[in-house]
Amino acid sequence: MDVGALETTILDIEREALGALEQVADRAALEEWRVRYLGKKSPLSQVMRQLGSVAAEERPRVGEAVNRCRDRLQTAWETAKEALSERLLNERLASERVDVTLPGRRRERGALHPLVRVMQEVEDIFLGMGFTIAEGPEVETDEYNFEKLNLPKDHPARDMQDTFYLTDALLLRTHTSPMQVRTMEAMRPRVPVKVIVPGRVYRRDEDDATHSHAFNQIEGLVVDEGIRMSDLKGVLEQFARAMFGPDQAVRLRPSFFPFTEPSAEVDVRCINCGGAGCRVCKDTGWIEILGAGMVHPHVLDWAGYDHRRYSGFAFGMGVERIAMLKYGIEDIRHLYQNDLRLLRQFARPV
Amino acid sequence: MRLSYQWLCEYVDVRDISPRALAERLTAAGLEVEALTPRNRGVSGVVVGHVLTCEPHPNGDRLKVCTVDAGAGEPLTIVCGAPNVRAGQRVPTALPGATLPGGPIKRVTIRGVESNGMLCSAEELGLEVKLLPKDLTEGLFVLPEDTPVGEDIVKLLQLDDVILEIGLTPNRSDCLSMRGLAYEVGALYDRPVRFSPPSEPSVPEPSPVRVSIETERCARYDAQVVSGLIPRPSPLWMQMRLLAMGIRPINLMVDVTNYVMLEWGQPLHAFDFEQVREGHIIVRQAGADERLVTLDGQERVLNDDTIVIADPERAIGIAGVMGGENSEVRSSTRRVVIESATFDAASVRRTGQRLGLRSEAQQRFEKGVDPVAVRAALVRAAQLLCDLGGGRREGGVVSVTRGEAAVARRLEFSPERCNRLLGTDIPPSEMRAVFRRLGFSVQERDAGAWEVDIPTRRPDIALEADLAEEIARLIGYGAIPSTLPFGATTVGVRTPSQRLRRRTREVLTGLGMTEVFTYALTHPSSVDALGLAADSPYRQMIPLRMPMSEERSVLRTHLLPSLAQVAQYNLARDVAGGQIFEIARVYWPRRLPLDAQPCERTQWAGLWFGTTDADVWNRARRYDFYDAKGAVEVWLEAFGWLDGAEFRPAASPWLHPGRAAEVWLSGMRIGSFGELHPKTAASLELEGAVYAEFDLDLVVERLSDRWLVEPLPRHPAARRDLAVVVHRDVMAQDLLRVAEEAVHADGERLLEDIRVFDVYTGPGVPEDKKSVAIRLTFRSKERTLTDEEVDRLVQRVLSVWTARFAAALRG
Repeated sequence: MDVGALETTILDIEREALGALEQVADRAALEEWRVRYLGKKSPLSQVMRQLGSVAAEERPRVGEAVNRCRDRLQTAWETAKEALSERLLNERLASERVDVTLPGRRRERGALHPLVRVMQEVEDIFLGMGFTIAEGPEVETDEYNFEKLNLPKDHPARDMQDTFYLTDALLLRTHTSPMQVRTMEAMRPRVPVKVIVPGRVYRRDEDDATHSHAFNQIEGLVVDEGIRMSDLKGVLEQFARAMFGPDQAVRLRPSFFPFTEPSAEVDVRCINCGGAGCRVCKDTGWIEILGAGMVHPHVLDWAGYDHRRYSGFAFGMGVERIAMLKYGIEDIRHLYQNDLRLLRQFARPV
Repeated sequence: MRLSYQWLCEYVDVRDISPRALAERLTAAGLEVEALTPRNRGVSGVVVGHVLTCEPHPNGDRLKVCTVDAGAGEPLTIVCGAPNVRAGQRVPTALPGATLPGGPIKRVTIRGVESNGMLCSAEELGLEVKLLPKDLTEGLFVLPEDTPVGEDIVKLLQLDDVILEIGLTPNRSDCLSMRGLAYEVGALYDRPVRFSPPSEPSVPEPSPVRVSIETERCARYDAQVVSGLIPRPSPLWMQMRLLAMGIRPINLMVDVTNYVMLEWGQPLHAFDFEQVREGHIIVRQAGADERLVTLDGQERVLNDDTIVIADPERAIGIAGVMGGENSEVRSSTRRVVIESATFDAASVRRTGQRLGLRSEAQQRFEKGVDPVAVRAALVRAAQLLCDLGGGRREGGVVSVTRGEAAVARRLEFSPERCNRLLGTDIPPSEMRAVFRRLGFSVQERDAGAWEVDIPTRRPDIALEADLAEEIARLIGYGAIPSTLPFGATTVGVRTPSQRLRRRTREVLTGLGMTEVFTYALTHPSSVDALGLAADSPYRQMIPLRMPMSEERSVLRTHLLPSLAQVAQYNLARDVAGGQIFEIARVYWPRRLPLDAQPCERTQWAGLWFGTTDADVWNRARRYDFYDAKGAVEVWLEAFGWLDGAEFRPAASPWLHPGRAAEVWLSGMRIGSFGELHPKTAASLELEGAVYAEFDLDLVVERLSDRWLVEPLPRHPAARRDLAVVVHRDVMAQDLLRVAEEAVHADGERLLEDIRVFDVYTGPGVPEDKKSVAIRLTFRSKERTLTDEEVDRLVQRVLSVWTARFAAALRG
């Protein structure tokens, strides 16, 4: 066989193969091309099979030419393969699109009731100050709700809390204060007593925007040797700062509760205006959030803590009032209406 | 209690202190001033006019043309429409340029006649017409004949006064009088108080009245007869003062008793002495069923708890509450006996409450009156009746006491203890000054040990702690510093029940449920929808004795009606559906009528109602049984209880019998859930809603706060999915349970997990059967299981299923 003719054939093969490669459009065609030009039956292989007819001294030259051609085709194939992959990927990416503005597969979170949020927040603050949380019965005895709290029968101070009676002796508690006595009776003679008591209470009030026949209170009680009224102020100041912000201050004003002496109303700086004066605080800069005082000597004595040795303070706050102030709820009834459009707003902060 | 600033200034000079500043000071001292109301609602330029002539208006049927002497210059022509205008009257006359609460007054022409001002009615002057008698409010406000013409009406009617409305705390009964308020203000500003007891003239003749006290509940009864009274109204200044204090002027005798009560705090009552038979007043307990028509014309049924004032024949008044009609002082009365007494506070309170009365007198008696004021007030009232009504004392004061006379209290006080209680460092000298301002006298027994004498007008000061409050109150609560308690450090903890509830809330809100908070008081028929048997314990609802409404008259025994109401409320407001829960108590009496505190159980209850929210990925669908079950399972799992829980068909009457389950945990039925019974659903208008309730008190003992890791497996698992065809009524849980028993029969726990992953009914499965696809996961902790081993176990499971449930492996 003429070497020159073979070399021409090899060049022709290469030209044809490279030409064909340019026409390849997909993976199948590329694979077909590979089998055709680089497989066992490829024209190059046929050239190699004719090598026997070439003079022995010429064979290396032709073999080398074939190998070089195959290498080039191999390289071309790899390049084409990569280009094809790239192109196919680009085509795929170009075709694969989602609307990122559609909503995700969401699981809506639920929400705690605002009253529960407030109670949990208050509980957490006092837990941090070393208070234990106690709870008591809502159906109370007259004895614990009134008498042991220095509110004897036929005492005018009972008018402060219009009562739902169930029987002569049983009633719906009008405040969480009976738990002051129950806690002390259970604890005596141990000190310190440091407890808060959240819970539902009831008053014979007509429901309106600011009154409710049922509401929630959080009672606090500390009894130990040497408890001072200044401690009451300090503890409530810490609470106010944790609950309403670091710049808070508290103000005590004289008041009267039969089970504390001295007694105080406790104001915090208006959480709406910060003390500058606004509609919420009636331009006073202060809002009343709780009643408090030093545990009355009679209450201490009757509960088993000799008032000459022990003293204590107690306070009680209305959860609804705090929730209304904190969350901007204008009507106390909204807290019991359970309108989901309102409650679901508590799934996220503003 | 109202406080007239002007009246106050007569006793303690605070003219340099504005009413507003006074209000702030009082509030800061614990006498909260709730409102500050100027009596003048916009009156100026109004004077006393004398109607000289009064002729009909030439062009108006009802109008009159008057000439009025207003005290300055020529008489004025004024057109007046009031029907009661007459020549000779003194009337408030608004001059041109004057203002009234209704607006300015100008010179106007009315039907051709120029009117140079306006004659005024009480209402036009902004007076409290509701409290005035009709003859003073209908038409012109006619003034007494001796009123000086030209005098400024503002001054005459004391409109230049400001009323402080004080919300008194119940302990400050002393401040239910001008006297008490004057002492309080005097103490606050450290100013002298001019309030002297009236001097009592000696009357030699014996009193015609005899007084007997026949009950323990009257400690003292003083009486004074005044006769020769001329019937007339009380003077204008007194009427105006009463009006300012919110009290209705009636006639001189009644007004004087009210006026002195406001002055001294001691309630007085005047009886027509001619109606007191035999001139004998008897204070006694009423007989059972004794009756008396009171001043308001109502017949009152009394009982033996009531103190009555009586003559030898009949009751003539209810002590401390209201007088009797039979002895009422009328305009014709010439001779009265005035009562000033001390009645048992609790008894007066009970009587008032029982009769639904709440008179000014009663409010003072029930809080305790000052024994010192009893006689002083009586003497003062008699004096006023003599001075203003032309009366004379008939005999002196008759005073009868029973029991021991009240004595001034003496309290021990230690400045050091006081500072210790308050956390202050107030020097003893300052404390001493506070007591001096309050009129409490101090004796220093030893250094630091004081004795403080409390005047009887302050019954609220009974303990050393009360004195400490007075110190803090007068120095100002602002003087109390902020400190933190000394003493042992404590760690705050939540009880297991609180932890259980908090985690329950986390789980349920995490599942997308919204917490609600509903009233515990409910309607007795609220449980009617539950399909309860007549003797069901849920019908045992504790009733309030005096509910405000039927809607809130009993304590709930069940949470479904409350949640259903929330669902209804929301469905009516364009909410398509929701998942809500509440953690609250139900109240189960041990028996009714209630004789002991009931059982208050804490439950969580959930309600899934309406449809799920539709979105791009999910179609809206009705909530169903498995929504509830999923929540219940996640909740159980959050406490580690799911593996031990057993779900059984439930038979609660409010639940669908075929679509409800109850959950058992170690032998206790802890709750139930399921679709509402169609009847319940229909009456609650909540078709298809699903309800769950769980008793948290039952499970609280099983609360676990331990988390412990199991080592990860070292050998591979082998999984087999089997689909078996069984009867439709076969419960998945039973298939799983027997499979587990079969695998573990030889003691080695090789079944790591078994679960249903599909249930199919339809073509290819007979009508009454279903195909249940179950995945079994086998794993040994010690070795890699061989296929043969696993196949043997699977065979064992299949044969037990076949034997127990006639299960057939699905091809």
